[in-house]
Amino acid sequence: MCYCRDTESLTTRRTTAILSGLLSFVLLITSGCDLASRQTDDNTTTIYGAYTAKVRGLDPGDIGDTTSSIIASQMLECLYQYHYLKRPYELIPCLAEDMPTVSADGLTYTIKIKKGVYFTDDVCFADGKGRELVADDFVFAWKRIADIKYLSKNWWIFDNRIVGLDEFREYTKTCKRAADVDYSKEVEGLQMPDKYTLVIKLKKPWPQIVYLLAHLPTAPIAKEAVEYYGKDIINHPVGTGPYKLKRWHKGSYIEMVKNPSFRDEYYPSEGEEADAEFGILADAGRKLPLNDRIIMVLVQETPPLWFLFMQGKIDVSGIPKDNFAEAIDFRGGLTDTMKNRNIRLLTFRDPSTYWLGFNMEDEAVGKNLPLRKAISCAVDRDKYIELFTNNRAEAAYGIIPPLMKTYNPDIKNISETSYDPQKAIELVKEAEKIHGGKLPRLRLSMPGTDAVFRQYGEFFKLCFSKVGLDVEIDYMDWPTFQNKIKTKSAQLFSLGWIADYPDEENFLQLFYSKNKSPGPNNFNYFNPEFDRLYEQICVMGDSAERDALYRRAEKIAVKDCPAVFLSHGVAYILVHDWVHNTRPHAFGYGLSQYRRVDTAKRAAYDELLRSLK
Amino acid sequence: MTAYIIRRLLYTLPIVFGVLLITFVLFNIVSGDVSDQIAGKAASAETIEEIRAEYGWDKPLFLSRDSQFINHLKNSLTFNFGRSWSDRELIIDKIKRGAGPSLCLTVPMFIGTLAISISLAIIVAFLRGTIIDVLSVFICVAMMSIPFLSFILFGQYFLAFKWGMFPVFFWPDLPVYKYVALPALIGIVAGLGGNLRFYRTVMLDELRNDYVRTAFAKGLGTGSVLFRHVLKNAMIPIITQVVLAIPFLFLGSLLLERFFGIPGLGYLMIDAIGARDFQIINAMTFIGAILFVVFNLITDICYSIVDPRVSFE
Amino acid sequence: MNNAPEKITVIIKGRSYWADSMGRLRRRKLAMGALAVIAAYLAIVLFIYAAQWTSLDIPILNWGQKIGAEYQPPSRNAIFGTDFLGRSVFRKTLYGARVSITVAFWASIISLAIGVPLGAAAGYFRGFIDDVIVWLYTTLSSIPYILLILAFALVLREKSLNLKWLGVGKVELSGIATVYLAIGLTSWVDICRLIRGEVMKHKERDYILAAQSYGCGSSRIIFRHLIPNVFHLIIISFSLRFVSFIQAEVILSFLGLGEKNNPSWGAMIDAARLDLPKGYWWEMTAATVAIFLISLALNVFGDALRDSLDPKLKVQ
Repeated sequence: MCYCRDTESLTTRRTTAILSGLLSFVLLITSGCDLASRQTDDNTTTIYGAYTAKVRGLDPGDIGDTTSSIIASQMLECLYQYHYLKRPYELIPCLAEDMPTVSADGLTYTIKIKKGVYFTDDVCFADGKGRELVADDFVFAWKRIADIKYLSKNWWIFDNRIVGLDEFREYTKTCKRAADVDYSKEVEGLQMPDKYTLVIKLKKPWPQIVYLLAHLPTAPIAKEAVEYYGKDIINHPVGTGPYKLKRWHKGSYIEMVKNPSFRDEYYPSEGEEADAEFGILADAGRKLPLNDRIIMVLVQETPPLWFLFMQGKIDVSGIPKDNFAEAIDFRGGLTDTMKNRNIRLLTFRDPSTYWLGFNMEDEAVGKNLPLRKAISCAVDRDKYIELFTNNRAEAAYGIIPPLMKTYNPDIKNISETSYDPQKAIELVKEAEKIHGGKLPRLRLSMPGTDAVFRQYGEFFKLCFSKVGLDVEIDYMDWPTFQNKIKTKSAQLFSLGWIADYPDEENFLQLFYSKNKSPGPNNFNYFNPEFDRLYEQICVMGDSAERDALYRRAEKIAVKDCPAVFLSHGVAYILVHDWVHNTRPHAFGYGLSQYRRVDTAKRAAYDELLRSLK
Repeated sequence: MTAYIIRRLLYTLPIVFGVLLITFVLFNIVSGDVSDQIAGKAASAETIEEIRAEYGWDKPLFLSRDSQFINHLKNSLTFNFGRSWSDRELIIDKIKRGAGPSLCLTVPMFIGTLAISISLAIIVAFLRGTIIDVLSVFICVAMMSIPFLSFILFGQYFLAFKWGMFPVFFWPDLPVYKYVALPALIGIVAGLGGNLRFYRTVMLDELRNDYVRTAFAKGLGTGSVLFRHVLKNAMIPIITQVVLAIPFLFLGSLLLERFFGIPGLGYLMIDAIGARDFQIINAMTFIGAILFVVFNLITDICYSIVDPRVSFE
Repeated sequence: MNNAPEKITVIIKGRSYWADSMGRLRRRKLAMGALAVIAAYLAIVLFIYAAQWTSLDIPILNWGQKIGAEYQPPSRNAIFGTDFLGRSVFRKTLYGARVSITVAFWASIISLAIGVPLGAAAGYFRGFIDDVIVWLYTTLSSIPYILLILAFALVLREKSLNLKWLGVGKVELSGIATVYLAIGLTSWVDICRLIRGEVMKHKERDYILAAQSYGCGSSRIIFRHLIPNVFHLIIISFSLRFVSFIQAEVILSFLGLGEKNNPSWGAMIDAARLDLPKGYWWEMTAATVAIFLISLALNVFGDALRDSLDPKLKVQ
């Protein structure tokens, strides 16, 4: 998933404006409002949150950014979901009755859908009552993504995967207008033997399909809603989830309330060993959702975001990079300011890797391994982590992050690119020999123009100048940056990747030569040996053999040094003590249903603040 | 009279055409093609073709009955700006929605600035030449010299966060007047310097007139000269100023709205800049210009009615 | 006694308009103080340019160097404290003058270079030329200024200007050039309007009629006679506009449309807004004070200049 500010990309080929990632945390934040209004709704509990980028729309087929995904996931559901508490991350059925039955050749998936699941009540249905969910709602949703007239950003999910769906896409190209597309046209690979059964036929084995069936764009959608709302469907999510949309003041805030027709789902009763100890299992077996209302406010500037959290208006906050010093001391613990306010700190590993990528097709850097290594050795990762994450992220030397099963702690010795200015200076000399003269001025593209990106840029510039490398930093907005990557015209670029699902394949595909720009291989990296391995891996199911191959593939890529690997993300969340069951999750989005709010404690916070003054 | 109004109306046509020409050149030619931006990162060439067709960018620029320029004219004049490419929402809906919040902020701000600066201007003009006058002019100039962004940042940090006198940000459950109070106050303080200095000059010019001398000679008190004569006569430049400021009220305040979370048109504009959503900027520019032209027209016509000396030729 | 005739000549000659105005100006102490401040800023900027030209190794040019720990409050080692990378805020502030003043300077030059000739031509020739120019500036001025400037900055960013016909080749518009082009191209309207009005008045005066009757060409009359006679307006406008250009740079920087590789006051305020919530107030304050002083000086000096050159003129 792409983690970028303000942009499409979660899924959009999950790439990531990396640095942006660190910054643009979409914070699931929350808060308490005025004392007065807290007391008026005594029985209802509300989660107050903030989000830091605009919601682009709540139509699942078109959602491509993290913010929209988080908000839409409270209202829409997929066939599968991640278990809230179990680690390592585990998929469980959501709208499906059970995990899919897979044929021996790995090509046919049979999925039973839960009976008695209803869409939320909405005017688009006859007499306003939500209709029962059927298999056709999935097929319709997926055909819609394939429909070229719909211009979905998510076609990459199904591209060349399902028998007959690519042909359906070809067919839609022949239609003159969007209205001419006939959705009743059969797709061979998407069959419905009965109302509650879905049979998917694949062109070639695709073990990762289950993860994508837990990915928001594959959520079912009611034909009635699409017909009723037309293009305005972006404003009207009609789903099956625990919440429904009440008010959406665009560009300001969103209010969601409990969906009365939500089926019976219960808080999980098993988790990790420590969970019971921390009271996370206290609500086991209670009916979900645990709170009645969610209010999410759009706050795009850092200062007000921090002020709101400190005043207790929002319940949960990421830590803006610049407030680290105030929140966390150098040993990584909370400062007294935070402790006095009973604020808790949660940290968890992100399945992410951030890097400065090289364009391997660029004349200067692409053919010059010592130069790439010199650049890599010049970056002081520890300082970087200290400055921008207050010592909490982990330095990266390879592709696969520590959260993944096949993380290789020895990769540092294989890539030979740890911080070493002396070595970098020698490598620069070597690089000059290969280049045949003085090195040209290099250009590093940054995916943003604001103050935070400038701080990153200035840091890198400082590192490079220390070893005598002349690097100019180009700051550009995200669309321009993307265009630069797509047209292979960037030389060095700052980016990263956050996994969409817990499978290393999601990282390795970034180095597969058939995925070169405009595909997700932004490095335009090409190594026949790696390609051969990748092709072998991507049709394999989970096995020890596959894990070994993953490791081998990573080694091959890292030796060619296609990027300066910087860090693996660690996410921080600050939580006020009135919010319970805050278990961070790297892949799941629809998590507000599990949170429980203690309104009395929240109301007492104002008192506490007053006493601190 | 009618002839004058008609002539005046006709005179606005080339202006409107000029605005449309400028926006077209800026946003359709200089800005370049954004279809691949709309398509997203992993888009195929076909998707981009599809998008170009949908937005009409595959048509000739000028010189055709169905050219992009003709469509630009047609769409703009009917206020049909299409859908924003970043979230597929109708641009005109965004603008309609944003005008209200913007006005909630700018109208009190404007009235406040006007009332305070005119009252102070009268006092200062009356005390002209004294140390208070010199000092207040100096303070005005000093206030004009502080960057607006600094006003906002210091104001939000101290008044709202540190001292808790105002809410720090927009909040759904709060009544409008509460969260608009601080940004409006900051706007008033930041704008006071320039306005006070301007109105002081207006007042001083009036005071130089012969009728003021006559009024004093008649033995009228300063109070009645100031309020009955000077202020009344100074109203014309003031009202002109006011009427011409109205279009800007609709456009809101870029920075204040952003920092205080007021979902108005200024905020919309900042977002559009970040997303390179040229169609929104195009629509805002055009609407802003049209409002300006219309209010200009109204002022001129009002003048011609009020002041018989305005020639109808 | 031998000196007497000379004395008489002096008295008869009187003082020229400029000498007279300058005399009036010189008597204002405040204005002179302001002038000194402006001169100091300009000196800093010129010094930086000169130092860069000759590759001097002086502290200001090494603004990017780490001089101490991160986020040090003002102290004896670092007068204005240090920023997030431990760099001297003092050096950045001084160096920032370069970007801010360069932007304001070029923007003023561009707007004068467009506004003055167009205004003079419109006022002098009238007729069709006048109609076109008036149409052009009325159109531009009916678009709200801030929108216009943003629109220009946005579309000009990362464009390259093809100047092959000038023999220059392609010029990449990056950061600083985008900013002053956007400001300059949008702000010539007022000066154009002012010059046009003034030229129209002067056109009927005897000295122009005389020049015409001598058979002087139009361009000679405009550039040798008319423009020198309205030159004081250009100076006044220049000094007062300079301030608004410096402030415009701050807003453009905040919106990410400004210069990025070198410190400017706008960029410093933009970066410091993230630091302020933590109580790191010095970078913000340093940039604000730097802007404040030059703006104040320019405003005070501009006012004084206006009063002494043309007491009747009203410029808002």
